[in-house]
Amino acid sequence: MLRELSPFNRRPCVLVWSIVAAVMILRCPTALSQTAALGLMNQSHLAYYYAGDGGHARVNMILSDGRGRTQTREFWIARRDIADMGDQNYYTYFLKPADVARTALVIHKKAQANDDRWLYVPALDLVKRIAADDRRASFVGSDFTYEDISGRLPSLDKHEAIGPDSALGRAATKVKSTPVNPKTADYAWRVTWVDVDSKLPLREEYYDARGTLQRRFEITKIETIEGIPTATERTMTNLQSGHSTTIRFTDVTYKPDLKAEDFNERLLKNPPAAFTR
Amino acid sequence: MRRARQRLITFSVDHPAWVIGVATLISLAFAFQFPQIVIDTDPKHMLPVTSPVRQYNDQVERDFGLHADVIVLGIVNPHGIANPTTLARIVDLTGRIQHLPGVIARDVTSLSTIDDITSVDGDLAVHAALADVPNDEWGCRVLREEWLSNPLFIGRIISGDGVATAIYIPIEPGANGRQIADGIRQLLPSDRAGDQFHLAGDPVARDTFGTEMFQQMGLFSPIAGLVICLMLWFLFRNVALVIANMAVAMISIVWSMGLLIGLGIPVHIMASMSPVFLMAIATDSVHIFNEFAFRFGETGNQRQAIFDTMSAVSRPIAVSDLATAVGFASLATAPIIPVKIFGLVVAFGTLVILLLSFTLVPAILILLRPEHIPVIRQTREETRSLLARLGGVCIRRARTIAIVGGVVLAVAAFGITRIRVNNNMIHWFKPGSAVRTADRVMNEHLGGTSTGYLVVGASADDAMKDPVLLRGIEGLQRELEHDPRVGKTFSVVDYVRRINYVLHGDDPAFDRIPDSADAVGQYLFLFSMSAKPSDLENVVDYPYRTANIFLQLKSWDADVMRAVIARTNAYLSTHPLPNGAVVRPAGIAHFNMIWSDEVLWGMLESFLAGLVLVLILLVAETRSFLWGTLIFLPLLFTIALLYGVVGLIGKDFDMPVAVLSTLSLGLATDFAIHFVARFRARYREDPDLGRALVWTVARPGRGIFLNALLFAAGFAVMVFADLTPYITVGVFMVAIMLLSALLSVVFLPGLIHLFRRTLLKGEVNA
Repeated sequence: MLRELSPFNRRPCVLVWSIVAAVMILRCPTALSQTAALGLMNQSHLAYYYAGDGGHARVNMILSDGRGRTQTREFWIARRDIADMGDQNYYTYFLKPADVARTALVIHKKAQANDDRWLYVPALDLVKRIAADDRRASFVGSDFTYEDISGRLPSLDKHEAIGPDSALGRAATKVKSTPVNPKTADYAWRVTWVDVDSKLPLREEYYDARGTLQRRFEITKIETIEGIPTATERTMTNLQSGHSTTIRFTDVTYKPDLKAEDFNERLLKNPPAAFTR
Repeated sequence: MRRARQRLITFSVDHPAWVIGVATLISLAFAFQFPQIVIDTDPKHMLPVTSPVRQYNDQVERDFGLHADVIVLGIVNPHGIANPTTLARIVDLTGRIQHLPGVIARDVTSLSTIDDITSVDGDLAVHAALADVPNDEWGCRVLREEWLSNPLFIGRIISGDGVATAIYIPIEPGANGRQIADGIRQLLPSDRAGDQFHLAGDPVARDTFGTEMFQQMGLFSPIAGLVICLMLWFLFRNVALVIANMAVAMISIVWSMGLLIGLGIPVHIMASMSPVFLMAIATDSVHIFNEFAFRFGETGNQRQAIFDTMSAVSRPIAVSDLATAVGFASLATAPIIPVKIFGLVVAFGTLVILLLSFTLVPAILILLRPEHIPVIRQTREETRSLLARLGGVCIRRARTIAIVGGVVLAVAAFGITRIRVNNNMIHWFKPGSAVRTADRVMNEHLGGTSTGYLVVGASADDAMKDPVLLRGIEGLQRELEHDPRVGKTFSVVDYVRRINYVLHGDDPAFDRIPDSADAVGQYLFLFSMSAKPSDLENVVDYPYRTANIFLQLKSWDADVMRAVIARTNAYLSTHPLPNGAVVRPAGIAHFNMIWSDEVLWGMLESFLAGLVLVLILLVAETRSFLWGTLIFLPLLFTIALLYGVVGLIGKDFDMPVAVLSTLSLGLATDFAIHFVARFRARYREDPDLGRALVWTVARPGRGIFLNALLFAAGFAVMVFADLTPYITVGVFMVAIMLLSALLSVVFLPGLIHLFRRTLLKGEVNA
């Protein structure tokens, strides 16, 4: 759901990065493309993961095994930013499939530490903390990982702009990103098509160390909601297993009717009124 | 037919250079096909892609995201693998193995990639069992305790005593298991520091076998050929004769293999055995040399001796080669394509040998320099030789011999009833071989290297969330584990139980299936939120309609899977699964079972068809049911004795033995055909039964024994091979040769003597 930096409250940030970039370029001419690329990726990160100061949306998720069998999940997802490029809270409330209805998941994403995750299991009427030391695990059994949903800090990778291209019929800048510490990522490198206009990552391709394309992410629909370009339809395809997951957003808003307490794990069994209507 | 044969022989004697030149040219043309050879080392390709078992297996693998070919790297440390060095190695090796070409990196399962579901300070934790290597003993001990407390791990990823672990390495379809195994071996540390490494799994065994089979074929068939050459030289002291004999074998091999390769057909393991078979069949030309040596001794006229020899032996040679060709061609009735190809290749090669016997062999004989021709003086040989005396005994003691034969046959029949049909690819390697050692060690410590599946299919979506069905599956798993050869079973039930237990803070009272379907659904959902998607995908399909029970078996015996299926059916008949859910077997162990059954029975059927065809041919050729049956008897006897012994000593009737049955088709009738043909010809010339029989035992009998000994000696070297099927080939060849020679020369005179009234009625006028 939650995207695009609104031009107003992001400007100082862009300014800072521009100055940093300018200084870097002056000091080290060879770092030109790398520094500019990092700046672009930071913008993209903000546009995609920190749009607005939060929001919520209803999500329809279709998992496909590539052989015609599908599973559908439906849930509400809400986000609340604590600081740009910093901590965030996510709240997920499941509606379907029927046997998991009322299951709820809250994630306190920490930029500098492991996330906190709590799950409410209705069958046991139990809130359980889930020790999460791996953001690369699958998000609710889909082809998206937690990291794909909540973002990977651009500073964890080295970036290099590798030229203009287009995706989804839009002009894009291709950026190759290589993890600084290979152990922090499942991929050896990835290529991102960053939309020149919205800075949204229109497409991402993840390669393994053998140079094989492992996963491909694509935005297939962008709508402008409350003035913010929003990717309302996206697909992650695992080219190795043939599985894919498509998620569609409806009822998107960046002015959520949510309070900080709604993201408190102790209230997990009582979902916000907005989601039970 | 006879005139054509005569013309061929005359032409060859008149124009030997032409014959040799043309044969050489054709051989060169076939030899030029050799570089295009395509080799297929996968014994499983005996079943076509379209066979139902292959298709069902492929479907199960697709449905559950499983891999057909998995290599298992076992790591054993007698002091326990939970020490900083070994654990660091596991992490390092897993990472490096994931980078090997042909390895399906995302599904490599080891302690460092497998998800562990635990309860840590009341939190539910799902993480790699070995995320960070502890640098002290204490940290290792904690990890060890944690792993050993997870029943999902025991027998699969760690042994119950903590001394062994395994890395499961799925490989892409079509990748060569042996090459990847070699790649893995290069990654192993040179300083083992107490760790032992073992490579096991079906692809390693299969592709190692396929590769070594070709290598050993390349090594042992020339050695066998060499031994035969040496023996020939000692017998005839004539290099040209040795060359003639080997030329016949080599040319038939070059033509038939050249044809196969030229047609673009991949050379499968089966077809790769044809040269050995052809070499065996080609020794038939010894009969020509033997008779020629006698005839030349009688007349001293080289040209006349050739014509006389050929008119005496050409008919039995033609009949025996035709019988052989028919026997092998009958394999074309088998439903298994590599067996068909093999049968036709050998049949073609046999016809080439037949053609060469009437062309190349006389051409070489005429080129021999008279002073070098070996001569056997007949007077002494025919009256006082050992063989002549043996002939006398056979006639005098005909009744005793017949009774002994009957008793032996009865014992053999009893042995045959005790034959156990089974197949175990690991047993194709010698007990001390790396493949077999690895398999044994892994099976001692872990659940088993052979994998089977039981697929539980329900009729409605979400059926696998029904606690009643899950308890039914659990009951079946416990029942199967009563078989000591079933080392480990594991299914979605085990995940559900584990999550129930962990969510309740490791309370043993909750180490069970929960009571509501919603709870099961939420547990599995929770699991899917934390673990790798493949963990769940491997055991249950998307709509929760089918589930997969993993079986780890401690033996590759086809029997073990058969026992599992029998036990499953017996259990389900008393404990049926709810809502008509059904269980179907799959997986490599099941595939091996079906594969060996189909190939074994397919071979057996076409073998029997071959026997009947040979009998028909013999009866037609002799124009007498009695004579035809008599000639057929030594073949029947040889087979009965061989399989009687196989049954009595408890050797499994497996794929190599089944393949070798066909050998007897090609070899065991030859001697009887020669014996009877020569006897009848002699009897017509000199109708004194006793004299004719003794002469036949002494003179053609010598050719028979020479042929048998030559051959037995040549193939006896195969008992030194590294693969047990080759040892079986060696033993069988020797046994078939010696038995059928002995039976032809000892039993036939006795039987002819016993049944002389019926057999010889009108013989002289015929």
